[in-house]
Amino acid sequence: MKRIAMTTAALCLCLPAAAQDFSEGSEAKSWNLAAEKPARFEATVVDMLCELTGDCAEDCGGGKRQLGLLRAADGVLVYPNKNSQPAFTGAALELAPYCGAEVEVDGLMIEDLELGATNIYLVQKIREVGESEWVTANSWTKKWAEANPNADGKGPWFRRDPRVNGMIEESGYLGLGLEADAAFIEEWF
Amino acid sequence: MGRISRLAALAGLLPGVGLAAEGERIEVRGEIIDTWCYYSGVMGGPDAVVGTAHHTCALWCSAGGIPVGLLGEDGEVYMVLKIEGDDQSASGDTQLRLASHEVTADGMLYRRDGLNYLVVEEVVTDHGITNLSHDIYGPVPGFAIPEPAE
Repeated sequence: MKRIAMTTAALCLCLPAAAQDFSEGSEAKSWNLAAEKPARFEATVVDMLCELTGDCAEDCGGGKRQLGLLRAADGVLVYPNKNSQPAFTGAALELAPYCGAEVEVDGLMIEDLELGATNIYLVQKIREVGESEWVTANSWTKKWAEANPNADGKGPWFRRDPRVNGMIEESGYLGLGLEADAAFIEEWF
Repeated sequence: MGRISRLAALAGLLPGVGLAAEGERIEVRGEIIDTWCYYSGVMGGPDAVVGTAHHTCALWCSAGGIPVGLLGEDGEVYMVLKIEGDDQSASGDTQLRLASHEVTADGMLYRRDGLNYLVVEEVVTDHGITNLSHDIYGPVPGFAIPEPAE
């Protein structure tokens, strides 16, 4: 028992997770965010719900569940909130093809202790460990277009998304109903 | 696996070791928010990216697969992973319908590496959209509401 305790303590001392800097070698592009820091690291792609609660889905949910990055260096569970597109788009669809795989990622870590933001990540590039070519994490809008072939019209996806537009038609841009919307729009513009 | 690796795995110290965290039953009240805008500051300060000012953006982000969170009355963000059996935490319908709503939720809380995660067993009360932040900030971002044609 004494040997187990000593070994465990030694391993704890060897893995100072919070102190590690993952910016070395990163080629991440800045988003000019106050709390961003470049971060490139190896990790295993995991289903967040499965990892935290044991409630697991086939293929990590196929892009319908949020996915995490279990960092190889220290075992920290990093939460990718964002892909590389400036288009209100998340990271789950980008990471879904790598469910359970060991990958290397490059992107921006958000650490803002005042807001409680830690281990929040914007993923810009992904590749399986051992591969030479990076895959840019910008496929969300293409996948949305494939899934919404009838979403015609001009403008970006978020102006044409049937579910979003249905919500706005029902309760307005403010969410307070069409009457409140109309009054605000008249005053605002 | 060597002796040290086995011991480390037992202690949960090595990567790749799946350790379901211990959950805690809680009831929490707060607003369903878009976590990226809140955490990153990309649209402005935290008070500007909640409530009615940010409702349209919250819809976009939820539909776009950005994680939603519950911003509790205690100021803590609880990352929502499941709501009343709907495990579609990326672009799912249930979370989209609750964008910007203040809710009282009963569920299981899991803490891991500095973040709070919530599995909502039941939305006990949906209080609706109660934070009228557009009175102060207008639409955030400014283009969220298209300017009416002349």
